[in-house]
Amino acid sequence: MSEKQVNDVRALRTSRFSSILNNFGIYAIAVLFIIFGALLQSVGAINNFLNPKNLLNIVDAVALLGIVAAGMAFVTYSGHYADLSVPTTIALTGIVSVELLKYGFIPAILGALVVGLGVGVVNAVVIGKFKANPIIWTLSMSYVSLGIIRFVWVNKQIYPDMITDDAFAVMLFDNIYRFRLFGVISLPLILMILLVVAGQFLLKKTPFGAQLKLTGSARRTAKFTGVNVEMMVGMAFVICAFTATIAGLAITSLSRVGAWYNGEGYDFRAVTAIVIGGMTLAGGRGSIVGVLGGTIVIGLMNNIMTLLGIGTFSQDIIRGAIFILVVAINAKNLRSMGRDDA
Amino acid sequence: MKIDKSKLLSFGDRYRIYFLFLAIFIFMSLFAPRFFNSYNLMTILRTVSMNATLALGFTVVMICGELDLSIGRTATFAAVIALSLQKVVGYGLSIPIAIAAGVAIGLLNGILVAKVKINSFIATIGTMTILQGATYTITGGNSVSLSGDKVFAISDFLSMPLIPMLPPRVLMTIVFIVLFHLFVKNSQWGRNFYLVGGNKMTAWLAGINTDGVTITAFVLSSTMAAIGGILFAMESSAATLNMGENSLMYVVSATIIGGTAMSGGKGGVLNTVIAVLSLEMLYTGTILFGWGNEVKIFISGLILASVVLYEAYAAYKHERTVGQRTELLKELGNKG
Repeated sequence: MSEKQVNDVRALRTSRFSSILNNFGIYAIAVLFIIFGALLQSVGAINNFLNPKNLLNIVDAVALLGIVAAGMAFVTYSGHYADLSVPTTIALTGIVSVELLKYGFIPAILGALVVGLGVGVVNAVVIGKFKANPIIWTLSMSYVSLGIIRFVWVNKQIYPDMITDDAFAVMLFDNIYRFRLFGVISLPLILMILLVVAGQFLLKKTPFGAQLKLTGSARRTAKFTGVNVEMMVGMAFVICAFTATIAGLAITSLSRVGAWYNGEGYDFRAVTAIVIGGMTLAGGRGSIVGVLGGTIVIGLMNNIMTLLGIGTFSQDIIRGAIFILVVAINAKNLRSMGRDDA
Repeated sequence: MKIDKSKLLSFGDRYRIYFLFLAIFIFMSLFAPRFFNSYNLMTILRTVSMNATLALGFTVVMICGELDLSIGRTATFAAVIALSLQKVVGYGLSIPIAIAAGVAIGLLNGILVAKVKINSFIATIGTMTILQGATYTITGGNSVSLSGDKVFAISDFLSMPLIPMLPPRVLMTIVFIVLFHLFVKNSQWGRNFYLVGGNKMTAWLAGINTDGVTITAFVLSSTMAAIGGILFAMESSAATLNMGENSLMYVVSATIIGGTAMSGGKGGVLNTVIAVLSLEMLYTGTILFGWGNEVKIFISGLILASVVLYEAYAAYKHERTVGQRTELLKELGNKG
């Protein structure tokens, strides 16, 4: 009897320790990167790293990625890998909002939300209810959205200031990305923090989060327990589409053009942030705060490499190698704890 | 004679890609201007060659139940290596090096997936990023092109028809297709791909070296991607940096439309090749009709989406009736 108890206690202890490591270990890596940057600065290899303005720039630069990743993390958490339709959802909502700007700022935002959530609902039905393979379906969905953009706008790009004479609406639209609270904190950063806080709350403190966790880690069990798994998976995709819409508005506001290529690359970059942030593809593990950590680490990495003068092309090699390394270590850790995530 | 409806349906489902192929071929031959002539058909065969080569290996990986997103970048990388080194050591040495690079990438992917146990989706995103960086670093962001009589002689040889309609480039692709088909369908190793894809645990319990099979699949995939990229680059004496990236979507679509399931253990290389041909005919047709690029993207998106949707819906319906003995229900219905 006593042996079993000891085992249980030990299991409890490792699981708490490992859960802290899983969820917040990424911040240790972030701190390591900051120390590394500071060392480089003290040696004189780079300048201005520890400057508050630079540190703010780092998070600013990854704010959009953070927004996308915070939403896509729900999809990963539900055990459905990733939503590869995010880039085209970004492009589609962006171009729709620019087109609708001629009716004013509010219709533009609402239109983008309707279109974005529409994409999310389609994904939700096909993947949640019909259980299509998430990667294949979202890839097809991205093809369809791309086709719609190309077909409707016939390969054209559209510019907010050419679509409407309403200077005020254009000004508001431009400010989605450019607005700064107290002249310092940018709107995307505020949105990212809000979404991360809301996402973390939703995932860890609500019945929805608990049900999603069960769905992600053991779908059949969840179903037999009475969880509406179809709804849970569907909601994950709708949340992902919602954050993609917000990112779409911000990216389009940043580039001041609605075009089919807006948002390219955000799918794989978001997956990178999510996986580095400690969420495993098997589902039901990790947290949104961890994903934020992954996003920040990517930002730090990019910043240090740029300050060191490493070319953008070579940065890809290092980024890819670090990504594989982190995932490999993560997989090995989980396996040695007897939680094979293959 | 009474025709069994469900049997007819499963027959149609099994050979749907051939029906689709015939339908597109007949439709385009009848309606698309200048479609049915030897020059156009040869152009289609030539264009298809690269994607068909890439699709062969990718299909094997899919049959194994894994995903290789790095094929496009592998093709570009190998092409860039083959052409850049040609300037230094000539094709005789640069091509083996480029193919070896393909094999090495496949080994890396395979080991990451089978031994380190990283999900193939994630692992190949990683190698894809690395390869992109490597390609751009080697080329400095510009496309590589060659000139010189010898180089042009080789590219001419590759694209000039030996037998009517069949230049060496296409003939090589046909040889690859036949070899792959025989290998996958008739050899023991080939059948192992299906077993591992169908159920890894069962395959392992049956004594199959599942890790070895998975690694082999990835090596085949990267090697074929490299060969496809190299041949394409040799034929045009140039390698652009997005040549492979465009192929990825194409190959994935063709493999899915061809009926290879993402869950693994199902499908075949021949189906994929037919699907690649069908897609290419469709694209050529849209161009001949005078429609723009946007129509092509729109149509192929719709086709892919409807195939995926149909398959998911069929599986959904099957799952709802699984466990019910439909033949008994039918008997009851007949009596009543």
